[in-house]
Amino acid sequence: MTQFLDYVLGGIGSGAIIALMALALVLTWRATRVVNFAQVGQAMFTTFIALSIQTLTGSWFIALIGAIVAGAILGVIVQYLVLRPVKRMDTSGAIIATFGVLIALQAAAGMIWGGDSQAYPQPFSNTAISLFGREWPLSVYDLVVIGFAGVLVVGLTLLFTRTSLGLSMRATAFNPEVARLSGVRVGRTLTIGWALAGVVGAVAGVLVAPTSAISPNSFDILLVFAFTAAVIGGLDSLIGAVALGIGTGLILSVVSGYSDSSNAPVVALVLLALNLAIKPEGIFGHNSARSV
Amino acid sequence: MLSITDLSVHYGPVQALSHVSLDVPRGEVTAVIGANGAGKSTLMRTLAGLVRPESGSASLDGKVLTGHRAEDVVRMGVALVPEGRSTVPELTVDENLRLGGLWRSKADRAATHAEVFDMFPVLGDRRKLRADTLSGGERQQLAIGRALMCDPQCLLLDEPSLGLAPLIVTQILELVKRLASEVNIAVLLVEQNAVTALRVAHTAVVLNLGQVVMSGTASDIASHEELRHAYLGC
Amino acid sequence: MRDLMRLPGARLIQHALLAFAAWAVLMWVNGSVDELTNYYLALIAMYATAMFGMVILVGLSGQVSLGSGALMAIGGYIFALTTLNWQYIPLTSIPMNGVWAMLFAAIGGVVFGLVIGLLGARLTGPYLAGLTLGIAVGIPAIANRFPGLFGGETGLQLTVPYPDGGYPAVAEASGEQFVTELPTSQDALPSAGASAGAGDLLTSDNFPSGDASALPSVAPGDLLTADNFPSADPSAMASVAPGDLLTVDSFPSAGATPEASSLDVSVLDPSTGTGTDGVDLGFVLERWEASLAIAVACIVGFIALNLVRGRQGRVWRAVRDDPVAAAVSGISPAGSKVTAFMVSSVFASLAGAVFVQILAYVGPGAFGLGLSLSLLVGIVLGGRSSLVGAVIGAVLLVWLPEFVLGLAGDRGWDEQVTNNAPNLIYGLLVVLVVLVAPGGIVGTLQALVGRIFKRTARSG
Repeated sequence: MTQFLDYVLGGIGSGAIIALMALALVLTWRATRVVNFAQVGQAMFTTFIALSIQTLTGSWFIALIGAIVAGAILGVIVQYLVLRPVKRMDTSGAIIATFGVLIALQAAAGMIWGGDSQAYPQPFSNTAISLFGREWPLSVYDLVVIGFAGVLVVGLTLLFTRTSLGLSMRATAFNPEVARLSGVRVGRTLTIGWALAGVVGAVAGVLVAPTSAISPNSFDILLVFAFTAAVIGGLDSLIGAVALGIGTGLILSVVSGYSDSSNAPVVALVLLALNLAIKPEGIFGHNSARSV
Repeated sequence: MLSITDLSVHYGPVQALSHVSLDVPRGEVTAVIGANGAGKSTLMRTLAGLVRPESGSASLDGKVLTGHRAEDVVRMGVALVPEGRSTVPELTVDENLRLGGLWRSKADRAATHAEVFDMFPVLGDRRKLRADTLSGGERQQLAIGRALMCDPQCLLLDEPSLGLAPLIVTQILELVKRLASEVNIAVLLVEQNAVTALRVAHTAVVLNLGQVVMSGTASDIASHEELRHAYLGC
Repeated sequence: MRDLMRLPGARLIQHALLAFAAWAVLMWVNGSVDELTNYYLALIAMYATAMFGMVILVGLSGQVSLGSGALMAIGGYIFALTTLNWQYIPLTSIPMNGVWAMLFAAIGGVVFGLVIGLLGARLTGPYLAGLTLGIAVGIPAIANRFPGLFGGETGLQLTVPYPDGGYPAVAEASGEQFVTELPTSQDALPSAGASAGAGDLLTSDNFPSGDASALPSVAPGDLLTADNFPSADPSAMASVAPGDLLTVDSFPSAGATPEASSLDVSVLDPSTGTGTDGVDLGFVLERWEASLAIAVACIVGFIALNLVRGRQGRVWRAVRDDPVAAAVSGISPAGSKVTAFMVSSVFASLAGAVFVQILAYVGPGAFGLGLSLSLLVGIVLGGRSSLVGAVIGAVLLVWLPEFVLGLAGDRGWDEQVTNNAPNLIYGLLVVLVVLVAPGGIVGTLQALVGRIFKRTARSG
């Protein structure tokens, strides 16, 4: 039982990262009804940028800021140059275009930084915390990750519920025409949504990099986990993405703990398939637009 | 005053509007009537900036509207209430109203917000509820309220009676008429239900296949024998 | 004649003739080009086989799926496992051979296609893309989970004997010496001289029957399929990282790099077809691979042609364009989508079975997300809903990396740039095609031709 609890606790850190990436997917989905499969590609790219900054300045924090700025810019570029011009009716085209961006970003990163895995410096202690006479399956770094995720989630919630920008973004997501007729500058709002998603993804990338390593393809599996969490959470729901993201992290941690970490993708796939077969609108979702 | 001069709109090879000219004076309700596909909604959507005209122009008190995007047209003082009770169902009543006129100062918006609640007391009672829990009539009131939040000089109403009970239609239209005269704004009202529209309108035009086939005072048009048979179906 | 064309079987005959003509032409090419070109030909035919299915699934049925790479893996593993583990088909006394293994791969494709189709038929757009993305990442991971059965990360080598006798060396082969890999086990070596001339169609009866047991179950006249061939150097696969887009230069290119090979290497004299160790080398691996891939591609292409241009094709298009209208007309949208999944996964399985024979290897690295993505790239560039587009896309997938490699050689590019340039170009091209020419190369050409005809018609 203690072991079980340890596995559960040990999953919170990775769960928080999955939650952030899922959040990024939800943000773009809400803004433009597009699942941005290039999101992890963008995060990978900005994490490489952060790594370069880190090597140059030696500061983890400046590198994080750099990744955030780059994430916002990259989000704007992808939305403005690629997705905005896709015809509204061509949903297949929008999905394919995001995969095109993913392929191009991974190749570009390989060109610039090489295809090999590179270690990302660990800014905080990554050893288990000893407290109350026992070792906990959490490190200081895990707590930092959880803290960042918490701040971002609270910040985004406040943004969406308390500000005019948030109201505009919600209205644009649900009914762009009415938003436009109310005077909301819809194009700009959508772009801001993508920039925000880029920022959240960039933070997730910088946070996940020290725990594994970074290479052009190293975030592919994170995309699967994040997509699973976002879809089960309902794709439209910020709370859902966060809850299911952390939940996915916990489940994967328990599965990896009792068996082997190579089971994780299969377990995520089974969860996703079960959800899509049984409750396609997700746990927190309320739209039924996903099936014919 | 809203002035429309020689407005033409194409949808591909289909001519939706052909050389439409029309004046909508302040303080009055001007009705546009006509059969399905006559181009009524196209006219409204073009004025609001959702559809680009092929030629011609529209202006409000001398400011040219055509060529501007919808989000700018509404800032210039022309607010459209589109067909089908257009609210954002996922947002609350309050949020739907706050959505209108976000560019205006906080104080101005608060004042209008209060006025809308005065005008439509039922919205005040339901302010915390999601818009999709409202009845059809309440949602139409909310849609008009949202448009009023934009502080329009000209209000475009596209088929407000669609799917509503006759009594509610009469109430809403009477309110619109009062609004036009009290606040001194220009109201352009599109209706398929011509009898209802002509009852509240001061002047009216009849559209057929994208062209203005007749214009005059509401009572003239209502009593025009030939027209009644051809377009009003009574 | 016109009446004849209206007969029920007429279109079938038309398509059969078309497929046969394509096969004959390709086999002529197969007999006249060198090893490297044949190797490319094999890859193109293999990609085209899988992409015929993608055209039906993504183009006609409108379901963006990334599962094809995983389904290729299923076909590949079934082929490998059945040939490696079964001497005879279980419960029978029928000896296993490549044809049976391909058949089992196809059956596996039907089963998995049905499962994924049933899951996916209710889903639209991004949900389906995401589910199949998970499948693309998850199914190869299963191979890692069970190293005992699937060989784990390193995969399995195919070591089944390849056909006795075989292909003659290409007559026009250059005078310079070339090198090929040889099987290590003696009984797997071709023992007789080549009796088939260059350009001859490959059938079992134009193989010299020096060792009849090598082709036990193939009747004379049968199209020769996989009876396997010497294994490539497994370490060559190490250069393919999981998730990499597979390109020609990331394949372990059999017979091209003696340094990379740990197997016996013989220097051949092409004029005699005899190795330095005295073994006859009439068998040309690449030509055999290409002939196999071409045969499968032509059969699959024939089936695809009938489906696309027949009733089922109209059903798929109807459901894609307006599921509600289709349902009202009595078509089941879900049923039509499941059918598309099954057809495309059978094609993908067969392509996978061909693929592992070209690689002489099966492993998770070869079937990663990169493979699925490159198949998607191929059909988008060629033309999402055109079978011809699939072929063009397959050619692009194989040709572009080579082209870039040549360019890089001329310009002296960094290796890091060269290796990634093809994918960068693919990614940018995909975006460009979606934005500017959603019909891909074929769609754009069709539109262009249509416009020219219209203009001449108007002026005339």
